[in-house]
Order: sequence, then structure tokens, then C-alpha cells
Amino acid sequence: MSSPPTKRHLPLLLGYKKSKALLRGKDKKVQLNLTALIDMFTILVVFLLKSYSAEGQIVTLSDALTLPESNAEQTVQLFLEITVTNDVILVDGDPIVYVDEAILSEGNPIPALVARLSDHLEYTRLMRGTTDEKEMKVNIQGDVAVQAILLQRVMSSCAVAGYVTQNLTVIKVEGEKNDTPEG
Amino acid sequence: MAKAATGRSHRIRHVPELDLLPVMNLFCVIIPFLLLSASFLEITVIEMCPTEGISASGAGTTSLARSEEQLLQPKVIITNDEMFLGTVFGTRHVSYAFLQNRDGEITPTYDFNSLSEALKSLREELDTVFPTIPVNKIIILTVDDIRYETIINTIDVCVDHDFDQPGLQVAAYSVLQRQIAAGAAGGE
Repeated sequence: MSSPPTKRHLPLLLGYKKSKALLRGKDKKVQLNLTALIDMFTILVVFLLKSYSAEGQIVTLSDALTLPESNAEQTVQLFLEITVTNDVILVDGDPIVYVDEAILSEGNPIPALVARLSDHLEYTRLMRGTTDEKEMKVNIQGDVAVQAILLQRVMSSCAVAGYVTQNLTVIKVEGEKNDTPEG
Repeated sequence: MAKAATGRSHRIRHVPELDLLPVMNLFCVIIPFLLLSASFLEITVIEMCPTEGISASGAGTTSLARSEEQLLQPKVIITNDEMFLGTVFGTRHVSYAFLQNRDGEITPTYDFNSLSEALKSLREELDTVFPTIPVNKIIILTVDDIRYETIINTIDVCVDHDFDQPGLQVAAYSVLQRQIAAGAAGGE
């Protein structure tokens, strides 16, 4: 059993009798103990440095869009952006085709989209004098609920217009996804 | 260190205190900056391979001179009821569709663990039978109303087994049935 604390070890502020030491230090400045705060900030800085992105955000995500999750690791680069939702197809933010039953009932390239993409490629060719492989790439942002036929039509339109490489934009998830239903 | 023999060891040592205020100031500047430039959502891409289209009649625009790799190229066939794996060794059933409620909509989903196992055994077979031919391309062949999310999940499983050049083909259900039947007949 430990002995009771001596008078000297009692906390000065809690003691019923204030000691001379306290009275002497009455005019002294009160100092905060910053060690705990520094510890917390250090952890926060390390965490934020880990998620720091020097490149900035290349892709602008629409609110009307939920990108699918994937384990893909290839980083996104700045190419022409095609956004596909269940309502509309946008090229660089401009609505080009409104999705209806007729669009979903066929499997061929979409003429309006092909025309817009061809124009863009031609414009790039005129501006730069030449087009290399980098300009013939597109990033397709599709909503999770988009039907395969719509995606295929967009992809084939890109191919017809001259955009041979099509990248599907996804949200990277760490570890394994568990999409398999139970039972 | 041994205590002094004189017993005058009760001197209070004043340890110089570090001035932590500049460190705090630095942190107060760094943290908002890092918070602003941190990206908590990492966007990546899946590069798709150009694929041959399938017309409504089911006749693909197949070139006569197909490479060996193209001939060995497997296909994951997804219908609303089942998922199959079409390979040079024949077409195999992988999984039946499960109905799942996603965003208030009942949609079919599949057992991706079974697909993973099927692709694993296919990879082993290909490595054994055709060790000199690298097979990295795979076709995701679906009916027209399969969700984009399902396609991405399928691609993820394929990439895990080194089929990292996925292509997409969409066909009518009747066309897929013909493909499955042809594959099954070829495998027998």
C-alpha cells in the first residue's frame, strides 16, 4: 500500500491551503502545454501529406454522375472528356445527345456525337498542324447505372471519329471490393 | 550517476523549455494549405482495347488473318440470367445472376468470386498449353441492358488475372445465345 502523498506533492491549485510557492508565482504568465497539440498536428500533417496532390484535379466530376469504383491504377490524364448519364451525353461539358428510347434501341455509332468528335479532332489538327496519338484519346465518364448499349454506342462513335483509345474513368478503391451477393 | 556524498543533490535543475509557438504557427499555415490541395477521391482510368463490333445478325467484322493471340482471346459473356466464360477450350458456365437492389432498382449481379476462379484456371491452362503466346486481351460480351458498374467489376476481376486489355462488345440476347451454343459445341 502506498503512503499518502506528502503536503509537498499535493497539487497546488486543489489544495485548501495555498502554499507560498503559489503566492510567489501569482504574477507569472500561465503557459499552455502545447506538446499534446503539436503531437496531434504532426499526425494531421503526415496524413494530409499522404493525400496531397501536387497535380491538382484534372477531372471535373458532375453532380449528376456517380462513377463506378475500381481497382484500376492507371492515372488519369487530360484528354477530351465525354460524360455519359442516363439522360444526356456531353462532350467537354456541352450536351450533344439526349438519351431516349431510340438511342437505346440501336447499336450503331451516334451520328451527332461522331460529328461533334470529328469537329473537335479537326479543330485540334488545324490548331496544332498535326495530331499525334495523345490527341486521339478520350476519357469517358459514365454513370454506374448507364446501360451497356449506351456505353458501346459512345465508344464506337469515338472510334469512328478517330479517337482510337478510350479510357473509362473510375474511382480508385483500395483493397478488394466485395460485390458478390451472399447466399 | 552516483549521488553526491555531501547529500546536496536537491538542486532544482531548470531544463530550458523549447519555444513551440513558431512550430505551431508553421502548422497553422501548413494544415489549411494541405487541406485545400489534398485529394481524398483518387480518379483513375481503365484503358479499353478497340474491339470488333458484332452486328445484329451476329456476323462479326472478322478479318481473315487473325493472330494467334486473337484466336486464344477469351470472352466473358454476360446475359441477364447467367455469366459464361468463352475460351478456346469451350464455353463454361461461371455463375447465375442474383437480383440485387441498387439505388432502388432491382438489377442482376453476379458471383465475381466464381469468375475469378474460372479465370485463374483458364490462365493456368493457357500457360500450360500455349506457354509461348501471351494472352492479355479479353472481351466483355454483354446484352444491351447490363449496368456499367457490372462491366467495370468484371474488368477488375479480369485484370487481377493478367487479362489487362479489356474490350467491350454488346449484342442482342439472341446473338449471345448463338455465341454460347457455338462455344459449347466447339468445346465438346
